[in-house]
Amino acid sequence: MTSATTLTDEQRYGAGLAALGASPGVLRKFLDGYAPGEAWEAIARGRHRADPDRRYRDKAVPQTLDTVESACLRSGVSVMVLGHADYPPTLAADRQAPAVLFSTGDVAVLENRPRVAVVGTRSATHYGLGVAADLGRDLARAGVVVVSGLALGIDAAAHAGALGVEEGAPTVGVLGTPHDAVTTRSQAALRDALGARGAVLSEIPPGVHSARWWFAVRNRVMAALAHVVVVVECHHRGGSLHTVAAALARGVTVTAVPGSVRSRASAGTNRLLVEGAVPVRDVDDVLTAVELCVVTRPHITPPSRPRSLSRSPGSCRRPPPLTAAQSRVQRALDHDPATLESVVRRSGLALGEVALALEALADAGLAVGAQGWWSRPSG
Amino acid sequence: MLACIPSATLYGVDGRPVSVEVHVSAGLPGFTIVGLPDAAVRESRDRVRAALLSSHLSWPSRRVTVNLAPSGVRKSGAGLDLPIAIGLLVAADVVPSRCVEGTAFVGELGLDGSLRSVPGVASLVAAIDAEQIVVPAAVSAEAALVAGERVRPASTVAEVVAALQGRCPWAETAPLEAPKAETKEPDLLEVRGQLVARRALEIAAAGGHHLLFVGAPGSGKTMLATRLPGILPDLTRDESLEVLRIHSAAGSTALSAALARRPPFRAPHHGATEVAIVGGGTSWLRPGEISLAHAGVLFLDELGEFPAPVLDALRQPLEEHVIRVRRARGAIDFPARFLLVGAMNPCPCGEGGLPGACRCSDVMRRRYLRRLSAPLLDRFDLAISLGRPDVEDLLDGPPGDSSAVVAARVHRARALAHDRGVRCNSELRFDTADGPSTLSADAAALLERRLRSGTLSARGLHRVRRVAQTIADLDGAPGVDERQVAEALQLRSARSTLMAEVGQ
Repeated sequence: MTSATTLTDEQRYGAGLAALGASPGVLRKFLDGYAPGEAWEAIARGRHRADPDRRYRDKAVPQTLDTVESACLRSGVSVMVLGHADYPPTLAADRQAPAVLFSTGDVAVLENRPRVAVVGTRSATHYGLGVAADLGRDLARAGVVVVSGLALGIDAAAHAGALGVEEGAPTVGVLGTPHDAVTTRSQAALRDALGARGAVLSEIPPGVHSARWWFAVRNRVMAALAHVVVVVECHHRGGSLHTVAAALARGVTVTAVPGSVRSRASAGTNRLLVEGAVPVRDVDDVLTAVELCVVTRPHITPPSRPRSLSRSPGSCRRPPPLTAAQSRVQRALDHDPATLESVVRRSGLALGEVALALEALADAGLAVGAQGWWSRPSG
Repeated sequence: MLACIPSATLYGVDGRPVSVEVHVSAGLPGFTIVGLPDAAVRESRDRVRAALLSSHLSWPSRRVTVNLAPSGVRKSGAGLDLPIAIGLLVAADVVPSRCVEGTAFVGELGLDGSLRSVPGVASLVAAIDAEQIVVPAAVSAEAALVAGERVRPASTVAEVVAALQGRCPWAETAPLEAPKAETKEPDLLEVRGQLVARRALEIAAAGGHHLLFVGAPGSGKTMLATRLPGILPDLTRDESLEVLRIHSAAGSTALSAALARRPPFRAPHHGATEVAIVGGGTSWLRPGEISLAHAGVLFLDELGEFPAPVLDALRQPLEEHVIRVRRARGAIDFPARFLLVGAMNPCPCGEGGLPGACRCSDVMRRRYLRRLSAPLLDRFDLAISLGRPDVEDLLDGPPGDSSAVVAARVHRARALAHDRGVRCNSELRFDTADGPSTLSADAAALLERRLRSGTLSARGLHRVRRVAQTIADLDGAPGVDERQVAEALQLRSARSTLMAEVGQ
């Protein structure tokens, strides 16, 4: 992690420009033909051609610079300005690349490696969380950088899966908030782990209040970074569809994990499949898509495909012997979560029997339960 | 020139004896009340004057001083009108003082001299130690429940004076109204399907376990909760009296006319203030909803919508069965032993129970659950997720047992708990040597696995054991086995996620 004790003038003015609160497009115009220092000076004097109404003149005061600089130093965030040597070249090539980027960790991990964005809903099912974690794990093993949004649900599961692999590929998180935004404990832990093992990017300077629209805007960064986008679970009009739209605009392959047609959390992904997205059953399908993509880019190391990753149905494990009641309860379970009530009715047993059988099935990994909803385990 | 009349004033749900001293002396005509009277007592001067004049009794045009002793206790309500009026008549020599010896008075006066009922008369007469107590005829039955033969009903102040002077006899105490053909309680027969929820209700009733329903709108949470009182056992006479005293002190006339046999059911709206729920008030400390639910069921629908202070105030009564209301003016303990039933949606959109179906943002979910604290959720022994009932069940699902059948099972289970020396299993303690029957080896192993995996806390362990004991009692099982423990664990499963979100 680069922890500078002070910012260069360029970084300082770059961060200051980002802190003016302009949209990413306007920010790019600020720096179009101006060095950061010049741009700042021009805005402060009301003479910048990208700010004809002088909307940002009042904010372009030395105090803004001091505040954002101290916030950057306090949270250990490095500042990168588009067009300068330290800015990640991968991202710099994008038409809508953030003009100023704030990062922790090592952004060099983005280069020369295949990158896959694993995205999805926060309100995920067991199934989605399990698939996301498996994909994260297997992609990290195959040497693929997992890019995701650090939200709860699918994003967090994918990152956790990737981080669980020792000596695996680095992972990258793209925040829709500043680096120092208040989050839950689990999210903060994930953010720290990612900083140590890869990089965390944000285009919002620390110490600034973020707005909701940033989440949609940052999705273009994920799409720009990825060679392949995998949507694991997504609701009918979920936020992941922003990422999909941005990926399609860039010609990035979009893949989706099929789900139950009755599951609301899979409504968006199933529609993507109908519309022509590549279906993904497991990491092999993703790796195939990645290989097709990187074959034209010789500087990228193709993913390694360990033999153990060849498709193997999970059922090769010998199932433990079940009692009559247990197998009746197991038959009553479905891949869609059902209330205890439904399990009791479908099995036709007394509640006590069902409860006992569910305990045993859960111990044997044959049933998954949370908040009183039960289903068969995924995979 | 001096009279001293015993009476009582209401303090919470208890009566406090008050001695009304009236002094009439020469001087400029005037009327002063001292001894911490509240506004209602201070206004009694005008009521007493009008009542005496319209009853053709004299109003002394001299200097009158009324002292309410003990003077340190704040007196409230209009129940002291009658003792003040009688004291005035005695001090003015209209009624000889020997006539009122050993007689106490309670009642509010109307301007026409009629006697009006006062709240909490049962508690008032219980506090008075006198040979006979004159009370308004309207509440004489209630008073007689406590004071029996000592009660002397009257309907006007003239009647009181006539009886005191021996000109006519006291009226008969009105017989206690037979409990009205009690409105039929909703029956469990009307619930289709919902096997798990019915079972949870039965266990809650048998063991006195607090119950939380988490489910989407339309899953039948309210319908189920309103059927809980119907399967609770009848109140004992002591409980009935206690319920009567509380409701009477709260000024509710519906219950005070008859001795209730069935446990009360209270369902305050989530807009209710903290004072309305826990009790208190500015002029007159009155019992709140949780005390009105004493010996019955308190149903909090939309638990997540109640203000956080209200929910936190529930924690003490849930533990100690009493709510201690502390105000600058005084401290009162209201009884509050109730069975709490909570119902809530899993999240603002209501669909969050089914994994993956929720449309709420994290912020919305967290804000919705913010008011629930982990200690409160911890008090629920039973917490179940409800799904919407299946269509087939609604149309021709098999009806379950009727309330009467379930109530019989509950009664048997309660009898077993009684043999253990507790009212119901939720009061069992496992840390004492004379605890209830021990667990089977399988059951202990299951609990140990749960404890080791961190899905069960030490406090949770005791709660699960209590519920398992209730299940064993209901099933007629000799001891607690793995089956009962597994069922008890399943019946609290909705708690874990709420706890996880609240704990953040």
